[in-house]
Amino acid sequence: MKVSKSYPLELNVNGEWKKAEVTPRETLLYVLRERLGHTEVKEGCGKGDCGVCAVLLNGKPVNACLTLALQADGQNVVTLKGIGTPDKPHPLQESFVKKGAIQCGFCSAGMIVSAKALLDENPKPSREEIGKAISGNLCRCTGYKKIIEAIEEAALKLRRTKNDRR
Amino acid sequence: MEYFAPRTVPEALVLMRKWKKKATLIAGGTNIIPSMRSGELKQKVLIDLSQIKILCYIKEEKNRIRIGGLTSISEIASSKIVKIHAPILFEAANQLGNPLVRNRATIAGNLADGSPAADTAVPLLALEATVVIQGGEEKQVPVHQFFVGPNQTVLKRDEMIKEVLVPKFNPNVRTAYSKLGLRNSMAISVVSIAVLMEMEKTFCKKARIGYGAVAPKPIRAYRVEEMLENHELTERLLIACCETIGKEISPISDIRASKEYRTEMASVLLKRVLKQVTQ
Amino acid sequence: MNEKTELRIIGKPIPRHDAWEKAFGLTCYAADFSLPGMLYGKVLRSNYPSARILSVNTSRAERLKGVKAVLTAKDVPRNESVTRFGQTHAVGGGFEGLYRVLADRKVHFMGEAVALVAAETEEIAGKALELIRVEYEPLPGVFGPIEAMKPDAPLVHEGRPNIITHYEVVKGDVETGFSEADIIVENTYRVPFVDHAYLEPESGMAWIDEDGVITIRVSTQVIEHFRGIADLLNLPHNRVRVIGTYVGGGFGGKEDITVEAFLALLTYKTGRPVKLTYTREESILSHSKRHPYVMIYKTGAKKDGRLTALQAKLVSDAGAYVYLSPWVLLYSMVNAAGPYQVPHVKVDGYTVLTNNTFTSANRGFGAPQVCFAYESQMDELARRTGLEPEKIRMMNYLEKGEALATGQILERHVALQETTEKVIEALGERTLPSGQMRIGRGIASGMTSYGRMVFLHDTSRSHVSIEMDGSVTIRAGIQDIGGGQASSLCQITAEILGVPIEDIKIYIADTALTPLAGTTTATRQLYMSGNATLMAAREVRKILVHKAAGMLGIDPESLDLVDREVIDKEETGKSLPLKEVVRACASDGLPLYHVALFKAPFRNVAQFERIEGQIFPDFTFGTHGAEVAVDEETGKIQVLKLISSFDVGRAINRLSVEGQIEGGAIYGMGYSLTEEVILNQGITMTPSFSEYLLPTSLDVPDVETILIESGDGVGPFGAKGVGEPSVCSVAPAISNAVYDAIEVRIYDLPLTPEKIVRALQSKVKAKV
Repeated sequence: MKVSKSYPLELNVNGEWKKAEVTPRETLLYVLRERLGHTEVKEGCGKGDCGVCAVLLNGKPVNACLTLALQADGQNVVTLKGIGTPDKPHPLQESFVKKGAIQCGFCSAGMIVSAKALLDENPKPSREEIGKAISGNLCRCTGYKKIIEAIEEAALKLRRTKNDRR
Repeated sequence: MEYFAPRTVPEALVLMRKWKKKATLIAGGTNIIPSMRSGELKQKVLIDLSQIKILCYIKEEKNRIRIGGLTSISEIASSKIVKIHAPILFEAANQLGNPLVRNRATIAGNLADGSPAADTAVPLLALEATVVIQGGEEKQVPVHQFFVGPNQTVLKRDEMIKEVLVPKFNPNVRTAYSKLGLRNSMAISVVSIAVLMEMEKTFCKKARIGYGAVAPKPIRAYRVEEMLENHELTERLLIACCETIGKEISPISDIRASKEYRTEMASVLLKRVLKQVTQ
Repeated sequence: MNEKTELRIIGKPIPRHDAWEKAFGLTCYAADFSLPGMLYGKVLRSNYPSARILSVNTSRAERLKGVKAVLTAKDVPRNESVTRFGQTHAVGGGFEGLYRVLADRKVHFMGEAVALVAAETEEIAGKALELIRVEYEPLPGVFGPIEAMKPDAPLVHEGRPNIITHYEVVKGDVETGFSEADIIVENTYRVPFVDHAYLEPESGMAWIDEDGVITIRVSTQVIEHFRGIADLLNLPHNRVRVIGTYVGGGFGGKEDITVEAFLALLTYKTGRPVKLTYTREESILSHSKRHPYVMIYKTGAKKDGRLTALQAKLVSDAGAYVYLSPWVLLYSMVNAAGPYQVPHVKVDGYTVLTNNTFTSANRGFGAPQVCFAYESQMDELARRTGLEPEKIRMMNYLEKGEALATGQILERHVALQETTEKVIEALGERTLPSGQMRIGRGIASGMTSYGRMVFLHDTSRSHVSIEMDGSVTIRAGIQDIGGGQASSLCQITAEILGVPIEDIKIYIADTALTPLAGTTTATRQLYMSGNATLMAAREVRKILVHKAAGMLGIDPESLDLVDREVIDKEETGKSLPLKEVVRACASDGLPLYHVALFKAPFRNVAQFERIEGQIFPDFTFGTHGAEVAVDEETGKIQVLKLISSFDVGRAINRLSVEGQIEGGAIYGMGYSLTEEVILNQGITMTPSFSEYLLPTSLDVPDVETILIESGDGVGPFGAKGVGEPSVCSVAPAISNAVYDAIEVRIYDLPLTPEKIVRALQSKVKAKV
């Protein structure tokens, strides 16, 4: 079997530069998961219909399965783990847990990425704006209600923290 | 598979001329990657245009707006210039796919894919936009001549879309857009319509109507446009137009809808957008 | 502890123990796990829904560099078995069915597995699949259950009839009942194939451990399949181990064997770890679907609204293999007449093989299908009698102590009246119509069992132990599919042992190391494992309290466990740190653990031709109310309000219960409006999530949940199960609301815009 030509790739993932040799067909999702150990990015459908693989690419939420790894060469990728950690949780992670917005959890990584992108751009989103921001992220367990409530609460907390700092 | 990521348009053109049929272009990848996944895409060479940043722009000029081919749909969907000067394109962009897809999909990609339901094609038809093609030379193709058939456009193997020109319209012009899908996000159009009308009170001076998902390609409803132009817009005329549209379109039946339903909805949406622009 | 004691942690909306790891991306789902030397497995599937396999040539695939195994039916030690689907003994009722690992001489549905490959990379495995040459001879197939019942229909499986099972329910005499009726409503209802559409595709990994044990780490609802896997390999049961991961959604679709058999075979043959993950298209193509039903209903009532008779013929499409079809049909039979007092009932149910994708468990398990029918019937009766929908229902609802048509006495609280009243109240002011939007409201009530059928000797086990430092460990076979199954056991234990929930660590779903808890299906885990854990925790508590009583010189009855301490309830100030008591027990050689077996009360069911008697332990009753806006020109439906009211017995975790109900409402809404796996002559026309449409965040109404806690469930603290009940009556509530809006009834799901438009047009035609 002919082996596809591979190319060098450099990605900044959650602040760290990582290198890999990739073939053109390999998506960002595949490389993140299989080459770079970022299994927090999930695969649900492989063609952009479910949003489970959402990551921030140069700050914008995209489906990692709809981006070829080479198309992200030299660029910044942020995954769920770059948004918050057990040592330094992001208010979105805290509110998702506290509001019961996580059931099976499979959509949560992509959902939190989309929510983070929203709050970065719009610190005071309405319910409609939240609904629109996550309209590319499917959830089969929660019916979205607690997810929307969690995002609202995180937005409020972030605004308060910002105000407190003033 | 071989991969090239040209940084400039001339670089891209050299590659396209070299590889011709062996290569496929990729921009946002939102159509190309699924067809790679399904095995539909056979080409062994990938020319990635996504690094040609110079083609990402939305510029306002005196009589028109210019949108670079590689401008993302989400940029179009949040652009003040587009919202003011091409509101139906703004609306269509906001309903294309979903927010994640919109961040990658490009206007050139949406047009080059040539789907009969292409979301941006429909308002661009009503706006009488022009597609600027860059190949050996630069060509300007009116959007209504750009589409040839299902997923077929006039683009040759050594050509790419450089930009889209959208003429500004005068203050007497009203526009409206409507997309009918089976759910409120991530929906492929069952029928979509865009209309541009220039009215003088109840007299229609100009009518341009674009439709998606009702024919092998995105189309203009020329017959209905003719019926409307230079006529008084009466209730009777509106009804006649809605009855005529069925003859102009040739929708198919698929898992989303039957051709009969599409025909009926083409008429319903026409009535609605015409009411919207004449109020 | 008695019921009057205030509960400290039960009932509180506390975050689940597994939520944090999920929020941080630390949970290792099935596809996230890798081992060195791992191979990638892939499955070659049938190209035809019905065909003879003339030859299978694997030589080119085997020769491909990097391919380590290519397996077909001949390589499976025991490729076929008559399985009892988890039952250890025959129960009758046609509950057994053929389980075949790989297609042998024929293929029976499109997507049936024909060959397996394991290779060094996914790419090589994919290429190997392309190199396998299968010669097919297409055969006639049958693609609908009604056609498949006909005498001249092609047989799906040689040598056996297409009709798998026929059940009957008879109460009184329906002819008499209809003769007494003033109004008779007759309709045929149809519901489609739908997919579970869990966001995590089927996935797992298998390897052979240092002792030669086949170990399978898999996303599953049932780790007990280790027995079936061992059998197909002709291995002793104790040489196959299944470890269940936290599942990214199950809903009944991971209840049957999915990837386990393939993984076990490939690892067995290659000696190396093998990983297999389905693509989404593969999942939609080849895993089980919800049973489509054709339901012919005839209901009779007096003009004052009292029901006199109900007759129904149910025909379900079992697809190409039996799986749980008889079980699902049985549930439908018990549910067919609804939660109503009907003096005369006759139900005939059939489940029939076809060359479609096989059908099996899906959330609700036969109850949602018939609920769509019987609640639409009730709505039509309401129209015909002029009674309000809630009035005619309230007149006929069963009450505690009364019996279903099958004779099953409802021994526990029946909350139908209250849930309906609350839903009507919550619907509030009707939204005003505007433009082309017509507004309508509808209600529907449902009953769904929780806990398995009582003749199955269901059991669950839980092991609770306390460590030297007072931290607590639970070991339970429970599979967690996102409904907080594992977390609820922690909450129960925290309550009984008086420790904060952070002090509890639970190990789940390992056939080698955790006592088996039974399947995570049938909304049974809170009832069964909750009770087992309650029993185990109480035993540990008893030991600790007794010891502490001795140490403090106080009557054990006066002691309570609160906040890591044993304290005197009489407030004498006497107390001991829990870990001190633990150490004292240890030095005395007292057991600091207990493994409890909870046995569901058994009742024998002697025969299954006529379904009668106590079949289910209990039901969860609830009502849904919907308000919809229907665009009368396009037919598009927007659900404006969706109210769900349920008697949950006792909400162990408020957030979890609400989450189940909210999620179930949208699961049901998708069933009502947009979801259908379209099969055309056995070929799937909706291969991906672009065609199979799930509700998005922009499609959903705000779901309002109204809980009733009767305390009368058979689960711990009087809890009832809610996972499946939350789906049951959504579709008819929405469908009844649509009728209210446009005055035309749609008899088949989903309620697509096109169907609405056609229905409106036929109404206009009828008037002319």
